[in-house]
Amino acid sequence: MNLPADAPFVSRPATSFAAGALAVAVHALFLLLLVIGVSWQTQHPAPVMVDVWESLPQLQKPQPAPAAEPPPPQPEAVKPPQPARIEPPPKPAMKEAAPPKPPDIALEKKKAEAEKLKQLRAMQAAEEKALADAARAEAEAMKKVREKELAEQKKRDLLRQMEEEELMQRMVDEDAAREVRVAKATEARAAASRRQAELAGVVGEYRNQISAKVRGNTRLPENLQGNPEVRCLVRLLPTGEVQSVKVTRSSGNPAYDDAVVRAIQKSSPLPLPADRDARIAFVPELSFVHRPKE
Amino acid sequence: MNPVLDQDLSLLHLILHASVPVQLVMALLLVASLMSWWFIFIKLFALKRAQRLTDSFEREFWGGGDINAMYQRVAAERDGAGEMARIFEAGFREFMKLRRQAGQNVNVIMDGTRRAMRATFQRELDGLEAHLSFLATVGSVSPYVGLFGTVWGIMIAFMGLSSVAQATLAQVAPGIAEALIATAMGLFAAIPAVVGYNRYTHDIDRLANRMESFMEEFSNILQRQSTTK
Repeated sequence: MNLPADAPFVSRPATSFAAGALAVAVHALFLLLLVIGVSWQTQHPAPVMVDVWESLPQLQKPQPAPAAEPPPPQPEAVKPPQPARIEPPPKPAMKEAAPPKPPDIALEKKKAEAEKLKQLRAMQAAEEKALADAARAEAEAMKKVREKELAEQKKRDLLRQMEEEELMQRMVDEDAAREVRVAKATEARAAASRRQAELAGVVGEYRNQISAKVRGNTRLPENLQGNPEVRCLVRLLPTGEVQSVKVTRSSGNPAYDDAVVRAIQKSSPLPLPADRDARIAFVPELSFVHRPKE
Repeated sequence: MNPVLDQDLSLLHLILHASVPVQLVMALLLVASLMSWWFIFIKLFALKRAQRLTDSFEREFWGGGDINAMYQRVAAERDGAGEMARIFEAGFREFMKLRRQAGQNVNVIMDGTRRAMRATFQRELDGLEAHLSFLATVGSVSPYVGLFGTVWGIMIAFMGLSSVAQATLAQVAPGIAEALIATAMGLFAAIPAVVGYNRYTHDIDRLANRMESFMEEFSNILQRQSTTK
């Protein structure tokens, strides 16, 4: 008979090492679960109710105006360099005046030579030929000079044309840029007006809700006649709770005024829009007009 | 401008930005948790082995084998034989010694044998129960330690709130979240420790019962043997 269990004998240090490794593994697993779980929760940032009342109106409204105004000055600032570039054209005219001089001198020389030739024609035929050659050469030189000048002028004209084209191009570009800027500004203005309209809609909606709530809580005095109007100034907390109610224009019926004030206090907290910009119309002060009937 | 929305509420961020006492509490709880899990696994292995060896020994013993041969084998491999086998070995050795010395007095022989077996039994039981008190301590104390860390963290969070003009929930929320991690860790350390402690005490009780009944039965066998001889 043999002990069946004696074969898998585990020594103690090995056991404790395995146990330690398992313990660490359990913690790593738990930590992993915790990290995954918590990061999953942070996808929804819970603290949304952050009320920074004072700074918001100033921060949001002035922004569009400065953004829209700055663009116009820029094109004016770019323009001044243009005249300086248009100046080059006159230069070629100045240079054109210079070339005629050589021909005058050449003509005088020619005339003198012709006179001399008349006098000395009999004397030196060979010289005459040489002179004629020289004259021809000079004429050719003159022609060449003129051609050169013409070529230069053409070049200059070309250059001028290119410059003008460049200028035109630049102006066109600037016009396009200005158009884009103007379009952007109008777009921003349109967005702002859209936002305004949206806000107005929200404000109106909540005004209706508030007056409906107040109307539900109003207990009309028996002696009330017609549909008199009461104007109240309601001081509200950001949560919508009514701090104080003051009648700014009485209906003429004190009992009805009191009833409206009581109804407003009873309606606390008043429904307020979640939109911060829309809240500005309600918090901290709400001017409230109430009529007993719609 | 908006101090709350850009705050990172991830676990690591919360732990690293907790106040020092809360961090100390968390470290203490982490160590306690690691230790208790270590002991849980050590005990798990040790008890499984003890149960397996006890099963095999009982099967062999009641299978009708030669007691002398069994004694030789168990004495040769003391460590790997198991708790019950060691009790058997101690009792049988004492029985043999006493029978050689004390002669025929059965009561003297049996008393000595029983004492030897009881002593071994106590030692084995002590070995099995080692570290269990640590599990019990962790199980009962670590929730309180975690709670202390939480209370401290919340105290700090509210103290910070007192210096702010406009109090919002968002200003205390991170502090409370980080403080609550301490309680979570305390519970994480305590729950396995309590479960492990209860389970192992139960297992050890059953093993002890088996050993005690074996001791009684073995004493009977030895007594019968000594009177018949």
